[in-house]
Amino acid sequence: MNDVIIAILRSGTPLVYVTLAGVIAQRAGVWNLGLEGLMIIGACATILGIMLTQSYAAAIVIAIAMCVIASVLSWFVIEKLKANPIIAGLGLTGLGIGGTALAVESIFGSQATVTAPFGAPKLGAAFGAYGVLSIFVAAMPFVVFALWLLLKRSRFGLQLSASGEHPFAARGVGIQPVRMRLIALSIGGILCAIGGAELATGSLQFFAQGMTAGRGFMAFAAVIFGAAHPIGATAAALFFAIAGALGIRAQLMFGDKVPHDLLQALPYLATVFGVWLSGKLGGAKTAGSFGELKDQ
Amino acid sequence: MKDRAIAILRSLIFVSFSLILCAVVFQFAGYNAPQMLTAVVDGAFLRPGAVEQSLRWALPLFITAVGVGISFRAGFFNIGAQGQFYVGAIAAAFAAEALRGGPAFIVIPLIFLAGMTGGALWALWPGLLKLRSGTDEVITTLMGNFLAGLLLVYVTSGPLKDPSGSGQQASSRPLDAAYRISNSLGLSPTIIGIAIVVGILMWLLVNRTSFGVLASLAGRNGTMVRWQGAKLWQLGLSSFVISGALAGLAGTIEFMGPNGRIASGFLPTHGFTAILIALVANLSVVGTAAAAIFFGGLASAALYLPIMAGLPAAAIDIINAAIALFITARSNLVEKFLRLGRRSS
Repeated sequence: MNDVIIAILRSGTPLVYVTLAGVIAQRAGVWNLGLEGLMIIGACATILGIMLTQSYAAAIVIAIAMCVIASVLSWFVIEKLKANPIIAGLGLTGLGIGGTALAVESIFGSQATVTAPFGAPKLGAAFGAYGVLSIFVAAMPFVVFALWLLLKRSRFGLQLSASGEHPFAARGVGIQPVRMRLIALSIGGILCAIGGAELATGSLQFFAQGMTAGRGFMAFAAVIFGAAHPIGATAAALFFAIAGALGIRAQLMFGDKVPHDLLQALPYLATVFGVWLSGKLGGAKTAGSFGELKDQ
Repeated sequence: MKDRAIAILRSLIFVSFSLILCAVVFQFAGYNAPQMLTAVVDGAFLRPGAVEQSLRWALPLFITAVGVGISFRAGFFNIGAQGQFYVGAIAAAFAAEALRGGPAFIVIPLIFLAGMTGGALWALWPGLLKLRSGTDEVITTLMGNFLAGLLLVYVTSGPLKDPSGSGQQASSRPLDAAYRISNSLGLSPTIIGIAIVVGILMWLLVNRTSFGVLASLAGRNGTMVRWQGAKLWQLGLSSFVISGALAGLAGTIEFMGPNGRIASGFLPTHGFTAILIALVANLSVVGTAAAAIFFGGLASAALYLPIMAGLPAAAIDIINAAIALFITARSNLVEKFLRLGRRSS
């Protein structure tokens, strides 16, 4: 049982961090399809940072800096150049995947996997069987709670939602939606950096090309499925992780006889169902016109 | 006329800007940027056989991109071209398997029919959900891409699995040579003919039929079209189905032409590139043809870059991504620059 929970926490934690990044962007009115790109930048920067500085803390700082820079770039493109957030987000994802591959190739001269000498700090023996998990796993519930406080119980959270849903009204009471989105996307950058770091160093300690393998999009699905609520989206992300872990387990136990592809499809099917249902119930926050920001 | 000239100029500026930006980044990353740019032009159009190679990539991309343009025109943000492309190829592969041994002049059209139907069906359900329940098509078509990718993994490692496959990448059994519409280089009169027919039909549909005019109007102002008595529902669903069928057709061409089989995760960026092409072309059919040749050239150069400029093929993905980042920009700054002083509202 322990090993199943450990597997779920290992695959679920990066997903939760990136999902939270999506939640905060979504609340600010930005459909963030660049999560995948930010996550892989975070993963790559962490590994390269470790090799460069030999210090895990410095590596995390580098990863956060890179992801925040990329987030600010995407903010500039959608807010100042008024590009379509969805297409620009897909572009950011492409830049992340291609750029990390190019960075690895230009530094090491090959496209091989880059292995770091050490990974994230672990919880240690005091936690028994769970001691193999990284500190980010233990921090995750606190981060979720903090984000819930920030988004649902603070003036900032209310201003953020107002900027996303009724930017004109928000501006009328002196909120600057443009600046709110910059803050939201920057916080999202930090969260994506941690998500990427956990993916690359939580239980592994290497970076491979395209290693996010669609997790950023799955996080986006969790944001939508969880109706952009921090707790709801976290639950959705963990549910997706459970489905994934069960799929792998079923495959190990029963071989190819069980359709594990079906379990892998579950997050996407659940999201379609969730969006359909919320549309039926009238509570859907749809993109309206091509996912454009509402004040453009 | 002036608007069209501005639109073309705008796309050209954005594409060149992205290219230059990438060149600067590559230069800083320690590559030789001028050498890279010449290698791109060489690999795309100048090297012997390059034009054929570029067309090989451009034609299926053109077909998918025209379809993407149709649904964008009608106001539906169908970003599911990749999924529709995959399901089209899967349906075609199933049809080819079922009809194995039949006479080619019957089997080939049936495979095409199956492929287009598959693609159309994969666009139909997001269309129905959108038009019946208001379910957002961005999410359903995006999820549809991942579902189609998983379906492709499933059929190539299950029902259609090639038992003699190497195991590296699951793939289907190869198509009988009698049913192939091109060799593995992927350019043949059949494929060129299909692309031309699709281009002409879609140009006529968009510019010379009431459907095309109404769909474009509906994309801008649905309420107005409804008041004029047009059936928004039919317009919307037709545009979904047409775009899906065309993506399915492109999938069928890739299956029956250059690839000769389907493999898990093959051509993973086809749909994304097709969306880019449609946007660069500002959704016009003629523009789509031009943009498809450009992006086909980039795809062909991707195979040539590692040898010539020592750049990984990912460089082309980065160029595409940079274009995606900027192509939809419509800031006042840009407009003002383009209109060269003319006041824009």
